[in-house]
This record gives sequence, C-alpha cells and structure tokens, in this order.
Amino acid sequence: MGIQRTLPWDWYPGAIPDNVELDETAYVETTHSFVPCRSTMPVAVKLGRGASAYNDTVFDLGPQGRVRFGEYTLAVGVRFICDAEITIGDYTMMSWNVVLMDTYRIALEPNHRRQELEGFARSEPRQFVTTAPAKPIRIGANVWIGFDVCILPGVTIGEGAIIGARSVVKDDVAPYAVVAGNPARVIRYLETKEPVHGD
Amino acid sequence: MAEPTELRPGRWVDGTLPVNAQVGSESIITGDRAFKRFRSQQAPALIIGSHCTLEDVGFALGEQGKVTIGEYCYLSGVQLLCEMELTIGNYVMIGWNTTIADTDFHPIAPADRIADAVAVSPLGNGRPRPPIVRRPVIIEDDVWIGPNVTILKGVRIGSGAFIEAGTLVTRDVQPHSRLMGNPAQVIGEV
Repeated sequence: MGIQRTLPWDWYPGAIPDNVELDETAYVETTHSFVPCRSTMPVAVKLGRGASAYNDTVFDLGPQGRVRFGEYTLAVGVRFICDAEITIGDYTMMSWNVVLMDTYRIALEPNHRRQELEGFARSEPRQFVTTAPAKPIRIGANVWIGFDVCILPGVTIGEGAIIGARSVVKDDVAPYAVVAGNPARVIRYLETKEPVHGD
Repeated sequence: MAEPTELRPGRWVDGTLPVNAQVGSESIITGDRAFKRFRSQQAPALIIGSHCTLEDVGFALGEQGKVTIGEYCYLSGVQLLCEMELTIGNYVMIGWNTTIADTDFHPIAPADRIADAVAVSPLGNGRPRPPIVRRPVIIEDDVWIGPNVTILKGVRIGSGAFIEAGTLVTRDVQPHSRLMGNPAQVIGEV
C-alpha cells in the first residue's frame, strides 16, 4: 500500500490495483485492463514469470473473482468475466476477442433477472449483485486458444489442446485434443497423446 | 433501498446526444465513439427507455435507421447496425462484442455488387446504390444474449430466450428457448 504502481508505457492514467500480483518479469500493457476489476480477494489477479497481458485484455472480476496466469502465459486482448476462479497454465496462448466466462452474471429465471437488473440500475456506480452461480474454468499448460473463442462456465481444457478460432467450448476438452466449431467438436488428437484406435 | 427523490435525465456521459435521440431518465450511455457512425435523419431516430445502461455501444444508424430500446436494459460493447428498424424490449441483456444488423449491407447479385462498389467508391459522385435487403430485428422482453453473438436481419427473438455466447442467429427464436451454435440450435428451455 501507499506506493502507486504505474506503468511508464501506459496510455491510460491508472495504477495497478494492490491485489494484483505481477512477477517482476511479467508484462501488462495498460492498467486500463483492471478498470472493471472489483475483486476484494487478497490476490485478485496473478501473473507468473514471463507472463503477459497485451492491449485490450480485460479483467472483469466480481468481488470473489480470481484469475491466475502461469509462467510464459500470453493473453492478447482476452476478456475474463470471472466471479469465481479462472486458472491458465504455463505456456498457454490466448488470442484476441477470446472470452472466458465462469458465470452468466445474472439469474437465469426471468423474474429474478428483472430484480437483479433493477438493482443494477439503482446502484452507484452501477454494479451487478447476483445470485448466479459461478463455475471455475481451468485451462491447462501449453494450450493454444484461437481468436473469438468463447469458453463457457465450468469448462476444463487439458494440457496441450488447441481450440480453433471462433469455437465455443461448453464441454471439457481432453489433453492434446484439437477442437473447432460452435459448439466445439474434436477434430483430432495431437501425436503426443494419440489415442489407441480399434477398441 | 430508498427511491431517489428525483430521477435524473438520461445522458451520454462522453458527449452531447444527437437532437433526434430520446433517452429516458436514469439511463446512461458511455463510450466516446457511441455516435461516431450515427447518420439517421429520422425524428426520432433513437428512443431509449428509463434505467438503461449502454456501455461502449456503437449506434451505427443509417439515414433511415430507427432504434427503440425499452427499460432496464444492459448492453455492453454491442454494435447496433441499423438501416431500417431495430426494436429491443425491456430487461434485455446483451454481452460484449455482440453485433446486431438489420441489413445485408450490400446486394447479393454479382452485377449489383459491382454497381454498389462503384457507388460507394471515391468515384461514386452520389450515384444511387442498388436495392439492399433490409428487414427489421425484434428482440422481446427478458432476452439474454451472450458475448460474441451475431444476430442478422429479419430475426425476432421471443421473450425470455437465452442466446449462448458466440451464437449466430439467422432465424426466429421461440420464447424461452435456449440457443447455441453456428448455425444456432435449440439446446433447451429457460
């Protein structure tokens, strides 16, 4: 506390929140990424050794939200909508306009949703208070996520998988699987874990 | 919670609203590019009800475009591309990077497309563009639309429907159905 952490190259006149833990070798392009971060957790966002968050990456975290980057993890314009926990493994790369959401942020039942939208409109500044459940997202190490991909609440993606551009992932992805499509389907498996054929 | 004694007029935080925009009380529009592509000559062209929150929404309205949004809606980072008519009901939530378009933007037939390319070029000199298909989009009350969704012309989304992230919607959606995919498929009910 006390000393404001600013970035010399930042275009936005902000500071890194106290509960964001950056390795000294990690890179954040702009503190604008943390504007929607409302997490009150002791460590809201953590970037490991050599990890980076470029341009329009956004950490939209609710009060309980936690985002964890491993080592050499790369995010280029990724949106984290997080009310529980999103964990990204080492060497994992995420492309632009990727959305990882561990919550729908609003009640599913329409009458309940109306109440939450009314509460939102009356709050100052406007913030969602929701009973919607959040289900953690876990992305393994060495995963490659293409542009415009959406990862839905509760999804686990295994080590070494590739998620093709514009895929929408609602179910878990096995290690070393290559998936694509909306909804995402397995195209093949990478050689490291080629499944044995002929069962 | 105590009701505010006086409702504040609707406002665009980052600028002055166009004269043909009506924004209801307690509604907030943010984003300095909200009206960069607002060219509508309709009066009114944009009607927004009370208690809406429209963060970084792009109101890209052509000269004949008309957009109506109800009360208590929350839109974040949505592009509204309207050459004709877009109607959004009450309590509608639309997620980040979603696009809604009531037009094809250009004609389909190859010869017409060449004529259109010339008309919109620096050499167009005000030449008229060929007819382009436009059809109104209607989104009814209590609809939830996720991030990275695309909604195309002529679609009516029934009340209470739930459109998953990344869905491409080209056909009408029944009330209270849950959709996902490209092409969109019904995966359940809400």
